[in-house]
Amino acid sequence: MKSEYTPTDRASRWPLLLLLISGTVWLVASGVLAVIASVQLHTPGFLAGCSLTTYGRMTQLAETAFVYGWLANAGLALALFVLGRLSGEALRGQNWAILGTIFWNIGVLAALVGVATGDATGFALLGLPKYVQLILFFSYASIAVPGILAWSGRQREVSYASQWYAAAALFLFPWLLSIVHVFLFAVPVRGVLQAIVAGWYAQAAWTLWIAPLALSVAYYVIPKVTGKVLPSYEFAALGFWALVFVGGLTGGRHLVGGPVPAWIPSLAVVSCALLLFHTFIVVLNLRGALSAGGIAAKFIAFGVAAYALGAAMDALTSFHSMAEHTQFTYFDEAQKQLALYGAASSILFGGIYYAVPRISGKAWLSGNLVLAHIGLTLVGIVMLVASLVAASATQTRGLMDPKLSFEEITLHVRPCLLLVSGAQAILLLGNVALLLNLYTTVCEILNLSKPAVFNTPTAVETHAS
Amino acid sequence: MSDQPQNDPRLDQASVSDEALLDAHERQLGRHPDDKGNYRLLPIGILFVLSGLILFAGTYLNRYTGHYSALVFNETAKPALPGSIKIDPLAQGKAQYKAVCITCHQPSGTGMPGIYPPLAGSEFVNGSAERVIRILVYGLKGEVHVGGKAFNAAAMPVFGQVPNSAYNWSDEKIAAVLSYVRQEWGNKAAAITADQVAAVRKAVGTRKEMTEADLQEVK
Amino acid sequence: MKNNVLFFLGIFAALGLSWAGIVLGSNAQLGGLAPFYDDSQNSAYPEWMPGEAARGQLVYKDLGCAECHTQQVRRPGFGSDQARGWGERQSVARDYIYQPAPQLGLSRVGPDLANIGDRKPTAPDSEDLLKLLYAGAEGMPSYRFLFEKRHIGVGAQPSDLALNLTGSLEPPEGWEVIPSERARALVTYLVNCKTTYDYPEAVPVPPAKEGSEEGAK
Repeated sequence: MKSEYTPTDRASRWPLLLLLISGTVWLVASGVLAVIASVQLHTPGFLAGCSLTTYGRMTQLAETAFVYGWLANAGLALALFVLGRLSGEALRGQNWAILGTIFWNIGVLAALVGVATGDATGFALLGLPKYVQLILFFSYASIAVPGILAWSGRQREVSYASQWYAAAALFLFPWLLSIVHVFLFAVPVRGVLQAIVAGWYAQAAWTLWIAPLALSVAYYVIPKVTGKVLPSYEFAALGFWALVFVGGLTGGRHLVGGPVPAWIPSLAVVSCALLLFHTFIVVLNLRGALSAGGIAAKFIAFGVAAYALGAAMDALTSFHSMAEHTQFTYFDEAQKQLALYGAASSILFGGIYYAVPRISGKAWLSGNLVLAHIGLTLVGIVMLVASLVAASATQTRGLMDPKLSFEEITLHVRPCLLLVSGAQAILLLGNVALLLNLYTTVCEILNLSKPAVFNTPTAVETHAS
Repeated sequence: MSDQPQNDPRLDQASVSDEALLDAHERQLGRHPDDKGNYRLLPIGILFVLSGLILFAGTYLNRYTGHYSALVFNETAKPALPGSIKIDPLAQGKAQYKAVCITCHQPSGTGMPGIYPPLAGSEFVNGSAERVIRILVYGLKGEVHVGGKAFNAAAMPVFGQVPNSAYNWSDEKIAAVLSYVRQEWGNKAAAITADQVAAVRKAVGTRKEMTEADLQEVK
Repeated sequence: MKNNVLFFLGIFAALGLSWAGIVLGSNAQLGGLAPFYDDSQNSAYPEWMPGEAARGQLVYKDLGCAECHTQQVRRPGFGSDQARGWGERQSVARDYIYQPAPQLGLSRVGPDLANIGDRKPTAPDSEDLLKLLYAGAEGMPSYRFLFEKRHIGVGAQPSDLALNLTGSLEPPEGWEVIPSERARALVTYLVNCKTTYDYPEAVPVPPAKEGSEEGAK
């Protein structure tokens, strides 16, 4: 039996640690921006005097930092970790990853500066000015090099679910980014087609890029921690292909009732329902997380539950009669936070807690900071999503009643928005704990006297059924 | 239990190695569901769920996509057959009136005393279609008496698609404006169709502007 | 999965399917969408926006106004858009073909702006909108950075562009508040946001009769 921390792991560590540290720094930065943006919702005068911090730009800044700073860096780190470990050898082409990480982060920083100074794109999940997109495209390709080499050069012929999801995410994102670069920026399409392409990208970025990154982590960590084979693994491939084929078709999800041909949102309704099949298979396979112990499993269990809840909510509220009420309200924001924070980030947090000792050879330095992070994060996410849903309920009642003016709606919604700011602040605190813990743990790498004590792994328990 | 106890938040212990993980799952794939001839419920359950979703998808797409037409924005609608979308002639006539006729005949069809005859309550407007069509198509010159009063303005321009016309309005436009005027401001006369206008033009051919005397000859 | 090539082709095909279906398909349908020519008015709709208004839309985009305001009116019976006076008909694709960067928006923290230049009974004019931008409102931040507060020179007249502010917003004696070029462009754009024509495809579909198979969902 191989031990859990080998020279192979030691040899693969630097790109992963660089990605994880950059990701966590971006997480904290995006948390600060998100707190400011959420304060500006209930106190519009906050920082309104400066053009760099006006609310319209601040929300896009927070989202860009969160998605392209935190989710991208952490997701890529864990994808490379999983692919590397399952390939059976050390990561090759690591310098490409390190170079790519540096330029990716420069690109994201340039995107933030660009949006703040007047190049906001106005598209959801695509707050990347035109000049930044090519930098990000090539950096991503560069970071993906070790991952693709680990996938194609793996020692075993038969691959595992985590590898499919990770490899898919590595291939799909550059394709998505290049398509959207051409159709929205290089040779922009006309009129509502911009909204259609932007909507397609936003949905595809979630279903074909971020969700696969998270799912590859979940599929790896859960059986490792529980020691049991995934119960419905025969269907995992079906679930994977269902996600990949149907995910992009949900593009018209937020264009219900809009100035687009009716078939686009109807196609999205149908695709969101079909995606429930994929979610069903994921839940069938990963339900062991609920009974597993340890920080990683707890995070991942929460994340998978959020993923399932998010998919169900998405499918339900995509119908025209439901969308009539939930559209254009804070409900869409609640869904976004449930998906990006509740599902993807939680699973990535679980992956980070699992992976860092195996990358660095050191256990996390502070158990208290770990417990603080998980407590604050879970509480924060529940509070964030719940208060956004409550805000949207009030807002919907107001919007549907033509006699209520927007001043009155704003007043009624304000208490829930205060809770939203509170939740963002709690999440920020938790993430600061993670950053501190990660930084100090990594610094300890040079201190050889306290290696992690890994238990000897035992055989896998398979189900007899 | 092969589960490792997870006592320490600082270090999650793995219960199995990577090889064992890959091995076990590869074996899981190669296993046949059963050797005893009993059906496992799960694959049938999954097939059921998938078929149900595909059936729903197909039915929904059939009903709520407006036949994938580019011009159907309401998912409950069907695409219009070519030629079935007609602009409401009264709306067209009203727009036409507002664009051109309003300058002389005024917004409420009152005209200007002594200069431009009124259209509201006018016996010409409410009278025979043949006559009023000729006024619009061929124009009108000279003094005209409406409602007992005399109007002696500049000539009514030539609107129809005839030589000497500055406007060259199509038969549909003529019909639309006349239909609008004949039901507005208290007028109650039947609408006029483009065919009627075309018939008049064909019957009369080319001529100079009508005069009041000419009009009185028309039934 | 064993075969790397098949896997690659599989995900490529999957992405290609949704790209072809949604992006190319809708581009084929709407890419060549032409203005609607109205015979009776001898003119095609929609019309191009004046240049300053087109620049104003870019200001709207870069300030992120679409984060709180939509510019799409939904059909009657779908929400209270019509009842609020946001538009007399549903927005359709043709409304946006001549806009450089259509800002459909995804959130209604504030009202819909598709027809703000045509609100009944009274549409806001440039002065009203400039004052709103300067002062902000309940739930809307102020955009003071779009304005310049400057000294009226000794013996000089106040500028024609100066805002007529009263109450607590009024600048001190001898000072005036001038909107910047960006503010003026933005306001010109908003004042030009109107639905100019009733296209045939925008005509509301009559609701299905009771008991009919095609009931609206």
